[in-house]
Amino acid sequence: MLSTLATDALRRSQLYRRHMAMDATFTTLGDSVVVSHYASEDETKQAQHLGLADLSTLPRTGFKGLGTPDWALDLGIELPARPNRALLQSDGTLVARLSQSELLLASNLNGLSESIANATQAELAERVYSLPRSDSHSWLVLCGSQAAETLAKVCGVDLRPHKFADGEIAQTSIAKINGVIVRNDLGETLSYCIFSDSSSVEFLWDSLLDAMAEFEGAAVGIQALRDCR
Amino acid sequence: MKLLTCPLNGQRNITEFTYGGEYHPMPDHQQATSREWAEHVFFHDNSAGVVIEWWCHSASSYWFLAERNTISDQILRTFPADEIFRERIDFNPTPADQGERK
Amino acid sequence: MSNNNRLAPPFGSLINREQPLSFSFEKQSYKGFAGDNIASALAANQQWLLSRSFKYHRPRGLLTMAGQDANTMIQLPSDPNALADRIALSEGLEVMGQNYSGSLNRDSGALLGLFSRFLPVGFYYKAFFKPAGMWEKWALLIRKKAGLGVINQDYQPEYYDKQYQFYDVAVIGAGPAGLSAALEAAKSGGEVLLVDENASLGGSLNYSRLDAEGTAARELRQRLVAEVEASANITAMTSATCNGWFADNWLPIICGKRLYKVRAKQTILCVGSMEQQAVFHSNDLPGVIMSSAAQRLIHLYGVRPGKAAVVVTGNNDGYGAALDLLDAGVEVKAIIDLRKRPEYDAVAQYAVSKGLKIKTGCAVYAANKDRSGLHLGSVEVREIISQGICATPTSGKGEIIDCDTLCMSVGYTPTYQLVCQGGGQLSYDDESSMFTLTNCPQDCQIAGSVNSHWLLNDVMADAKRAAIIATNALELTTETVPETIALSQQQSPNFGWPIFAHPKGKEFVDFDEDLQIADIINATKDGYEHIQLVKRYSTCGMGPSQGRHSALATARLVAAATNRTVAQTGVTTARPPFSAEHLAHSAGRSFYPAQRSNMHYRHLEAGAQMLQAGAWYRPAYYGSADKRQDWINSEVNNVRNNVGLVDVSTLGGLEVRGPDAPEFLNRFYTFGFLKQPVGKARYALLTNEAGVVIDDGVACRFSEQHYYVTATTGGVGNVYQSMLKWNAQWRLDVDIANVTSAYSAVNIAGPNARKVLAKVCSDIDLDSEAFPYMGVREGTVAGIAARVIRVGFVGELGYEVHIPQHCGEALWDALIAAGAEFDIKPFGIEAQRILRLEKGHIIIGQDTDAMSNPAEVQMSWAIAKQKPFFVGSRSIQELNKAPLKRSLIGFVINDLKAPIPLESHLVLDGDRMTGRVTSCNYSPTLGKAVGLAYVEPDKTEAGSHFTIKSSGAVMVDAEAVNLPFYDPETLRQEL
Repeated sequence: MLSTLATDALRRSQLYRRHMAMDATFTTLGDSVVVSHYASEDETKQAQHLGLADLSTLPRTGFKGLGTPDWALDLGIELPARPNRALLQSDGTLVARLSQSELLLASNLNGLSESIANATQAELAERVYSLPRSDSHSWLVLCGSQAAETLAKVCGVDLRPHKFADGEIAQTSIAKINGVIVRNDLGETLSYCIFSDSSSVEFLWDSLLDAMAEFEGAAVGIQALRDCR
Repeated sequence: MKLLTCPLNGQRNITEFTYGGEYHPMPDHQQATSREWAEHVFFHDNSAGVVIEWWCHSASSYWFLAERNTISDQILRTFPADEIFRERIDFNPTPADQGERK
Repeated sequence: MSNNNRLAPPFGSLINREQPLSFSFEKQSYKGFAGDNIASALAANQQWLLSRSFKYHRPRGLLTMAGQDANTMIQLPSDPNALADRIALSEGLEVMGQNYSGSLNRDSGALLGLFSRFLPVGFYYKAFFKPAGMWEKWALLIRKKAGLGVINQDYQPEYYDKQYQFYDVAVIGAGPAGLSAALEAAKSGGEVLLVDENASLGGSLNYSRLDAEGTAARELRQRLVAEVEASANITAMTSATCNGWFADNWLPIICGKRLYKVRAKQTILCVGSMEQQAVFHSNDLPGVIMSSAAQRLIHLYGVRPGKAAVVVTGNNDGYGAALDLLDAGVEVKAIIDLRKRPEYDAVAQYAVSKGLKIKTGCAVYAANKDRSGLHLGSVEVREIISQGICATPTSGKGEIIDCDTLCMSVGYTPTYQLVCQGGGQLSYDDESSMFTLTNCPQDCQIAGSVNSHWLLNDVMADAKRAAIIATNALELTTETVPETIALSQQQSPNFGWPIFAHPKGKEFVDFDEDLQIADIINATKDGYEHIQLVKRYSTCGMGPSQGRHSALATARLVAAATNRTVAQTGVTTARPPFSAEHLAHSAGRSFYPAQRSNMHYRHLEAGAQMLQAGAWYRPAYYGSADKRQDWINSEVNNVRNNVGLVDVSTLGGLEVRGPDAPEFLNRFYTFGFLKQPVGKARYALLTNEAGVVIDDGVACRFSEQHYYVTATTGGVGNVYQSMLKWNAQWRLDVDIANVTSAYSAVNIAGPNARKVLAKVCSDIDLDSEAFPYMGVREGTVAGIAARVIRVGFVGELGYEVHIPQHCGEALWDALIAAGAEFDIKPFGIEAQRILRLEKGHIIIGQDTDAMSNPAEVQMSWAIAKQKPFFVGSRSIQELNKAPLKRSLIGFVINDLKAPIPLESHLVLDGDRMTGRVTSCNYSPTLGKAVGLAYVEPDKTEAGSHFTIKSSGAVMVDAEAVNLPFYDPETLRQEL
């Protein structure tokens, strides 16, 4: 089997130019360049109210095939009980079960993930196939008390907190593009991870910022997400 | 807008789905007469009553089947394809094909 | 002018007298209050005339004060046909009347009314359609006369958007029924939405009279609204219109500039009923209004409807209106009761006790103008002797009563639109003379007056019952459902025949279209007996108010004229929208996805002209638009003679992995894949079950159990879905993944391609023997893990380099830098299209259509003959039994001056169309235009000539040639 392709070049987001235009300050995590914060250094309040962050450069990977659940268990990954549920691992890795036999792994906010490292280095068992999720999908985080209200402008699934619990997954259409929405709260702060086609990330970013405007939402860096946690 | 219940993803607006046509078993492609084959490819039963249809949930690319009453447009139930397709399908090679197989 | 026609509080519950607003109507300044709508503010200034009618330009004023009629259509700066009794007043608003010539007060178009007897129903059909061509001339004149508002062509788009909302129970309409239903449903703890199109909750409780004193309705409203406001799980939306009912309770609710897309698990339609007009001579004069309109004016806006009023009634509600008029200081000249022997309720008794003049068994036979000619001056009253017939007094005239206001209270029609959109059935009950509704869609109920209940207690009990049924269905409650509320045995509020023909006509059945009694009768005489045909022939009910006030009278008239019951004549269908909506509500904030490759900005920096192919932005060519063809030609030449670089990230990519991967491809594509060696690519042609060519790509075998298959940019989504659908049936041991977006890719092509690539790729032996044409390798390019495929779409030595998506820009930079010494140049998809055309490669979807089979497009070579099965195999077998109908061939245009044919230009044989061009372009390499066309199968021989009808209908001679045009020995791509 072909392993997930990697590069030793520093990863920079497809949204890099938009971040630059918004006066972003960057930070390097492993081989990833991530926005630390934008013009304001303290974006915690913004993130608690309504924030949008780009984590597309952070590590993630995916596996599918009938052998996947057993193989992942052998690696020490704790599996969500059913499809369309996600579970945070002890190392902070988010494991999203997209079907009976498909997993999406996303790193913690430090860009570190023992689970991902283990899985990418481990030999794939029979009927386990790797998926290049770092490249196929962008990763945005929409967070804050107004996040559900914002999503209601772009997505036809009821994602309000009392209807869509922490750890729930919706594979659906967001602003007319397909994506995976995982509710993954940051401490007390309501938060949704949105994984979507990487070539559409600029469109999605712009659409979300537009939808957020009426609620006074703004882009936030990873520092604010960590502070919420 | 109608709702459709995906066996994997639950109830969603029907715009999240792609219609895959009526389900009807494929006739034996070697034994079928030309007419039978043409009817399989081009004709739809289009019956008034309960039909089985293919639907695909676009965001997850998940195919399943739905029983729908075409008179009332009510979707009676949806179910995974393996309820009908329980085991691997193989096509008998013609004697001349043997050489191509390893 | 000032606000001089106002009543003191408590009248005017909606207006805020502390907040005066200035506005203008017909360029004259007026004052109103916040909370007014345009019509109420104008009425407060005694301006009753609002518009001119559609056909005869008759003066029209407010009728319902509920946004249900077209009489109040006015012109706003950016909004024609706005309803004056719907649009809230705002500071500085500039309002104009519409549909008049000259001035609103003196409309020269009104002369048309004099000719109305020459403009019978069906007139346009009869008069202007013969001889042929007549209509075009008349249409201009007629359309000018019979127009509505004016569109502001300088309109600047405003921001409209949409939002989804979800509720357990949606209650539409917030009158006594809606409030009761919402409160009952909220007890279950479910999430309840309560929607009303009016500015205030309460519906008729805001203005109707339930008791003699006139306080009960307001008290009840206050109590219910307070309870609603105290219920945390009720969301109340006012000034919000539910504009349709769609399957599974999908409700478009328009509120301001937002369209809410509401999904309710249960819907209760408490949409009430609409008061109907009496039909008599000049019933359209300003000053002739619904009783409920008078009550709305008084109670909601504190506006006195007039100085002296007559009430014409067929029920007890008219008596309540008379009491309200008295309270408002209006002189009530008489109550004309159509009923011979009225059964009074308490309110009516009270009115009677006031000593008002009451004439029973009488009708208003005609309305007369006042001296201005623009308003009601008096009414003529006559005794009813039989259905629709009044006695002719010996004097020749009935009793004339001077008045400036006539309030009509003769019955109601349920607000049937939403129910009927859901498949509900509108029927007529001859007993009560009412329309009734049955057959509600699943999970949707009606309650209150829309459900034929008109007594307050019944209305509220019916609504509570519906709410219990709804919450039980949601399993939020397990309450015992109360018995069906029996229809009241009391006298129906609908008077059976409030229709009185007049020798001079002008008894309007449909105000929108100026249709009179005779028009409806004549339609039946012309042979149109079904109500649907009457509607289409007479246009009755087709105007802006969509039959709200004409459906009932029309149904009655057609039934009587054809000697049938109303039930037998049928009723018309109601379709969304419920009321007129701005296009912006549908169009606002639509999403148009855009895909960009990782190299997008490098293209922009290099001066690319981008175009959108599907959702993808792609460089068309690099350079200024004015020298488009030069840039494209030079890009072509650079690939042919040197080396070029094109972004092919948009190419579809599919991973097919697992023990059955070869077997799967063997079944899915037309070629054989079982014996494909590892490290090799094979052309993959896809046909559907009908044997039609639908996609192509290459299948690269990276290991025994791993293929990487490319697909066309536009086709990959369907190919992927199709693969999954087939394998849901075959159940092969294979995994299929769409990795299109995971890879950036370039094609580096041209005689110098290898030299450039070699500079940045050291771990793959690029030597032609080690890495031959159609070989595939894995390695690194510029330090980036890469899949390298040696293919030649453009017909030169070339390599497709596929790398992780995020490295696209880095790879692009590396190759441009490495190629600098060879003068590498990027090329766009325009050049790529020419290059592939020169090489005779077809593009699926451009050179093929929904009928193209492999033999027609010279692709039979790509069909494996010795396979047990592939998707299109049996159909192709069948197709091959029949003679070819057409062939796709190459042609050249030898005449350099001839206009180059375009796609879809016709191939002609004499006058006969025998084919069409699918691709054609000037070939810089061959120095003339080359193309592909479908021709008859016997016209394919190289050297034969055929004719193409090119641009400007110029006949161009084309010469058939063998493909490819360029490098027939295919030496170049195998360098």
